[in-house]
Amino acid sequence: MANEGRQGSIYDLGYRHYDGERQGRSAALYALYIHSLRACFGLGRRAQSKIIPIGLAILVFVPAAIQLGIAAILSDSVEIIKASSYFGWVQSILALFAAAIAPEVIGRDQRNRTLSLYFSRALTRTDYALAKTAAFVTAMLCLTLLPQLVLFFGNGLAGNDLNGYFADEIDQVPAIFATAVVISLVMALVSLPIAAHTPRRAYATGSILGVFMITWIIGGALSEVFGEGGANPALFFAPLHILRGFSYWIFDDPPSPDNPIAMADFPGVFYLFACLAFIALGGYFFYRRMQRVAA
Amino acid sequence: MAMLETESLTKRYPSVIALDALTIELEPGIIGLVGANGAGKSTLLKILLGLISATSGKAQLLGYDVVTQGPELRQYVGYMPEHDSLPLDISATEFVAHMARMSGLPATAARERTAETLRHVGLFEERYREMRGYSTGMKQRVKLAQALVHDPKIMLLDEPTNGLDPAGRDDMLDLVRRTGTEFGIAIMMSSHLLGEIEQVCDHLVVIDGGRLLRSAPISSFTETTGSLVVEVETGAPQLADRLRAHSLEVVAEGRNILVALNDVATYDLIRDAIVDLDLSLVRLEQRRSTLEDIFRPATPAPAEEAPVG
Repeated sequence: MANEGRQGSIYDLGYRHYDGERQGRSAALYALYIHSLRACFGLGRRAQSKIIPIGLAILVFVPAAIQLGIAAILSDSVEIIKASSYFGWVQSILALFAAAIAPEVIGRDQRNRTLSLYFSRALTRTDYALAKTAAFVTAMLCLTLLPQLVLFFGNGLAGNDLNGYFADEIDQVPAIFATAVVISLVMALVSLPIAAHTPRRAYATGSILGVFMITWIIGGALSEVFGEGGANPALFFAPLHILRGFSYWIFDDPPSPDNPIAMADFPGVFYLFACLAFIALGGYFFYRRMQRVAA
Repeated sequence: MAMLETESLTKRYPSVIALDALTIELEPGIIGLVGANGAGKSTLLKILLGLISATSGKAQLLGYDVVTQGPELRQYVGYMPEHDSLPLDISATEFVAHMARMSGLPATAARERTAETLRHVGLFEERYREMRGYSTGMKQRVKLAQALVHDPKIMLLDEPTNGLDPAGRDDMLDLVRRTGTEFGIAIMMSSHLLGEIEQVCDHLVVIDGGRLLRSAPISSFTETTGSLVVEVETGAPQLADRLRAHSLEVVAEGRNILVALNDVATYDLIRDAIVDLDLSLVRLEQRRSTLEDIFRPATPAPAEEAPVG
């Protein structure tokens, strides 16, 4: 310690004042967005921090790769994994990603007590919450949108008639974007408030995973009780069920008859409202927490 | 223009009043904020930073209202909190550069100033390593660096020597002093150790129970609180009597006697008294003032409470 200090004075070349530009709040918000997005995938951190996010990000491409493989070997008419059901194949991976990464994005600064350094700078609490939300939603979009796009373009390239394929399938593209955005927003805004209320990472991860999985299981189990056409209300408490319902509705591709969504037989637009409700409530609780959290 | 102006600033918690109608006006300089634990030092700093909001009252820092003009103001403010506040899994360089950007600096400027600032606080090769391996002293330096990296006009330092060993403490105080005097950055530093404040600051603000006790230049405090410790091998009681005869205020303190320091002549009186009594002087030193000295009544404790001999 003492030695360092003395070195400090020997090598000190004098202090220069900074006369350059101060870009203020908006620049700080953007820089925090980029920083947090990189942190979602462990970029700029040690190798261990990359394993889980990068590993899960690779896994969500597996169904797309399988479908493209089948299409290449057999024929392009065999369609096991479709855009409308893609979410069903990867929902557990997405839930794991959200549960593992949300505490990194939002809990870290609370654990390290870095919040007071952020809130004493050009940012406001609202800016901070916005940048973090945007970063996490973007990270989720990488996992929800990119595999769908790979599948879409892969299918096109695998066939013989690319122009014909695009002409036939182009109406899928808005639905692909819509589901990716809605899934990302819902999963992010369910996970972020939980992570923000639970600074300890293990608890936060467990709670987020619990919320996704337990509501999923209860919703599915109760559909047996309510039976066919039974308007099972438990589905609306389960983010994974409503996201599936939304996907089926927006792709206009009804699920198989034994699916809880098919059995409940709600109008599809209900799932859109349910998604919007989750986004609004999650956003509100997250915002409120960030206004109040001690710094 | 005053650097800091508060007007009956009050912070009330359900069970306690942390700040009680604090009204204060300070000119730029190196300001020491002293008070016992829980006196309201951290609360005041946090209100100025916008980290917590006051129950009532107003505050202006650098001419900006701390509530309505927070983001603009905080581009020019550096804050070093009392508690740990560093993420341990990234390097000091990355962290400080990130914090510079959070203050609104462009990326290139943030990198350049990070290198300069870390060098200034005395972090060299280790700045590229993860901070988990840092000693307390190194962490405190990083905390100071992140408060300085965006070239603030004022730095608010909350107990900057917290947890440091004596050598680290002196280094940190030296660093703070140089930052204030050589770079012309105003500093407001809190401490519960008056000795530290004396070493660094030119102006002292004493708060207790959320109220302002005093705000004055450091010199005015040391004049009134000065006292001399005299240690003699034998004959302390006689010496005390002799000094009282010269109408000095004298108190026994264990084997030593404590003499109120009125002016320079007091030294001569003590020296002469010791020579006259033919005593062996072991030690004659100005006592480092403590908070107690400030809160003690102007006259030392009456003799019957602390009889000498």
